[in-house]
Amino acid sequence: MNIQQRSKSSFIPALAAVILGAVYMVFFLAAESELEVFGLLLGAGVVLLILRKMGVLDKIGRGASDNSMAFGACVAVAAAAISLYFYDDNFVLFLIGSVLAYTLTCLGLNIQFGFVGVVNFAGASFFGVGCYTAAILTKHTATPHLLILVLGGLAAAALGFLILVPVLKTRGHYAALVTIAFALLFKTFLEVNDTLGGPQGLKCDGLHILGWDFNTDIIIGSFEGSFYLGYIAVILVLCVLGFVFARRMEESWIGLNMDAVRLDETVSACFGLSIPTWKVAAFTVGNFYCGLAGAFYAMMLGYIAPTNFTFGDSLILLSIVILGGLGSSWGAVAATGIIILLPEKFQMLQEYRFLIFAALVIGILLFRPQGLLPRTLRSFAPLRSRQG
Amino acid sequence: MDLGLIAQHVVNGLMMGLIYALVAVGFTLFFGVLDIIKFSHGDVLTWGVFSALTVYIGLDIIGLHAPWLTLIIVTVVSMALIGALGALIAKVLILPLRKAPPLNVLLITLMLGTVLRESIRLFYPDGANPKRFPALLPDWSHTWGNFTLRFDNTVMLITGIALIVLVQVLIKRTKLGMAIRAVSQDEETARIMGINFNMVVFITFAIGSALAAYAGVTYGLYYNELSFNMGLLLGAIGFSAAAVGGFGNIYGAIVGGFLFAALQTIGAAALPFASAYKDVFAFGVVIMIMAFKPSGLLGEKETERV
Amino acid sequence: MTLQTSLLSVQKLEKNFGGVKALADLNLEVGQNQIMGLIGPNGSGKTTFFNVLTGIYPVTSGKIYFEGHDITNFTPQKVYRAGVARTFQRSRLLLELSILDNILLGNHNRLNNGLWFNMFRRGALQQQFNDRLEKARELINIFDESLAGNIFEPVAKLPMISRRRIEICRALISRPKLLLLDEPSAGMTHDETFRLIDDILEIKSKVQNLTIIIIEHEMSVMERITDHCAVLNFGEKICEGTYEQVSSDKNVQEAYLGMD
Repeated sequence: MNIQQRSKSSFIPALAAVILGAVYMVFFLAAESELEVFGLLLGAGVVLLILRKMGVLDKIGRGASDNSMAFGACVAVAAAAISLYFYDDNFVLFLIGSVLAYTLTCLGLNIQFGFVGVVNFAGASFFGVGCYTAAILTKHTATPHLLILVLGGLAAAALGFLILVPVLKTRGHYAALVTIAFALLFKTFLEVNDTLGGPQGLKCDGLHILGWDFNTDIIIGSFEGSFYLGYIAVILVLCVLGFVFARRMEESWIGLNMDAVRLDETVSACFGLSIPTWKVAAFTVGNFYCGLAGAFYAMMLGYIAPTNFTFGDSLILLSIVILGGLGSSWGAVAATGIIILLPEKFQMLQEYRFLIFAALVIGILLFRPQGLLPRTLRSFAPLRSRQG
Repeated sequence: MDLGLIAQHVVNGLMMGLIYALVAVGFTLFFGVLDIIKFSHGDVLTWGVFSALTVYIGLDIIGLHAPWLTLIIVTVVSMALIGALGALIAKVLILPLRKAPPLNVLLITLMLGTVLRESIRLFYPDGANPKRFPALLPDWSHTWGNFTLRFDNTVMLITGIALIVLVQVLIKRTKLGMAIRAVSQDEETARIMGINFNMVVFITFAIGSALAAYAGVTYGLYYNELSFNMGLLLGAIGFSAAAVGGFGNIYGAIVGGFLFAALQTIGAAALPFASAYKDVFAFGVVIMIMAFKPSGLLGEKETERV
Repeated sequence: MTLQTSLLSVQKLEKNFGGVKALADLNLEVGQNQIMGLIGPNGSGKTTFFNVLTGIYPVTSGKIYFEGHDITNFTPQKVYRAGVARTFQRSRLLLELSILDNILLGNHNRLNNGLWFNMFRRGALQQQFNDRLEKARELINIFDESLAGNIFEPVAKLPMISRRRIEICRALISRPKLLLLDEPSAGMTHDETFRLIDDILEIKSKVQNLTIIIIEHEMSVMERITDHCAVLNFGEKICEGTYEQVSSDKNVQEAYLGMD
């Protein structure tokens, strides 16, 4: 049997893209006026169109997927480099940290929605569960902070399990209902509960790992860097781990089973898959991501309040997942950056962001439902690499 | 427990039940006809009551001050407008997406709901703040001991229930209703029988949305207040009411609506210290019911063909 | 045929949908290693029978025995694990996924699906993957070499006959004891159908333990492949025997009105 193996595409175009992208991000983040930002966006749009026409985008894509580990490493290094460039700009660094936290959250939502097909309309609420777990545990216990991060994830996962299990045997829209109800009631529940800080919210301690207080600026020799650099290091590591975990899951029997459940429950059942098991597995893992990100965010911000966890915020997270491309991990990364950073640079967008992003999602669902960076077909590449 | 207080709770429960039932009937009609969940329904209700308010302001400006006439005009106009809106939504968003996975329609309508909601907040004058809805019904009342029976509540209850009965009659007894039921059962066969599928869909959406507008006006008259995000929770409640009654089943929607209101009332009475908990309680019980009877209390319509 | 030699024994099976009697007092015995044909006009209950057998619909009354065990009202998952696999009347592949993904879904019972195994025991997973990949290629190669060469391509772009072949492979890869084929030749030309039957017979000759029930409207298929046929009408069996016997039966001809 003759199977042609396409030779590996060159990594050079992809590497160049990462480097140029990093430089672009530096300019973008440093831009002061809205005119500058608009110009940058226009420029990027034109360049991307030209590259697409020339087929270069395809080359970049293939180079990236054939050398996925190298590509991932380069992107992570680029993120670190960008952060180091802004070493004493607290505002930009906090923004980068937030974007990474939301990226982790959306990677989790991607597993729930993109892999197994369970829509979670309460992503922001599960994020909030992680936040409140961290706030309570740091203020009232001596639990080590790394463990608190994990506990934040577990709390969200456990709560998600509780609300999903009753509706597992029902149609898909009941899972939607349950998460919508949770999203709507979570904020109200927090506001009427004074033990959880009520409408004012709660303070949260900063991260302390092995005696190092992350809230102190980093001084090495003549280098004085913002304390946010430490936080970024942590969330970058968490993001990378979360990304790799999600991709591994996708390129394995687990990913196959989840896709099958999403695409056709009857057929899946006829071939032995337990539908509830896979839905619960994906939902729980996804919520763990949300809670973990939330716990981190609370410690980085130092303070949390119920107003961050509204239904509208959950819808924005979903918009990110849809914009990026359902089930696409790289899509989630790219889309998080776009949707979180743009309103920061265009202040007037902030007020209109719910409206604009809702309209954007409608547009995508109507005209390009596969999203910006559509999910690629499962090729089991990591398992095939050693085949003769 | 004092009888007057109980009676007060009952009336309150009935009013809310009526509103929820009106919304739920819409959800169930849409599901029946197209097997879809139109999540913008709650926000369509908000548009209904805001359009009613706008008409009222308009009438007020041109000097019409007869409360009964104003009420009728306001109600009818808003129902007509919102009915048209519903049909438009069906034409532009829902019908084109019929072949797409049902989750896409759920998402699109949810996002549409956000667009509707935010439009009011951003573009209606002072939209972000709650507004007063005029009290157009006379405030006659009669008091027995601790219980005050208000005239306006009674009128609203009676007319609301009459409207639901009217819709029932429409579905069960008229040619149009038969067409709607035929389309709900089997689109292809209905088409072959000569039924204009698209027209039936538009009319169904118009009816459902008009009912939502009416529910909104009722809410406005009852609470004298409206705000841009009132439709969110009402929509979620209407959806769960339709779900717990059984999607596609009109009786189920009615039962579900009143059941939810009853649960809220029980919750509020049992946990007087925080009104938010009544919603948690009601949703919780509804979810439990669905865990045990996934197709709803009165049975959902069969949709899948293997 | 006695109960002891029957692989599948269906007794007084009834299935009602509201007022409609889809299956009414169906009795059937299928022997080990047989190829049984199910014939009948549209609406006679053949696909409903498959759906009830595989647990998609609950039984209204009656019993189903498989290898002597009562499998009435088993969930689809349990029926699959007992050794029954099927294809669907309207081809149901996961169009977004690749050929390999679709075939391997059928192999669910032989894959290690645990979280730990898939995430952390990558070496073992790799072994299992390559082994399964080989098996899937072998299987689809019998039906169509080009599909075997493109096994990582998406299914969505393939023509209907390729999809039907993939669906049969999906059912076969788990080495079922009983294979249910629902109109496998639908949409195929005469030559393609002929080739399909060749392939099915080839598989049957290579495997020790395979019983097949096949629903078909294409009578040449029934004539060629079946050992035994049952004819259904209005949810009941109206005739049974070899193809020659049932095709010349008066009741059967009446039911089909114009069958040749």
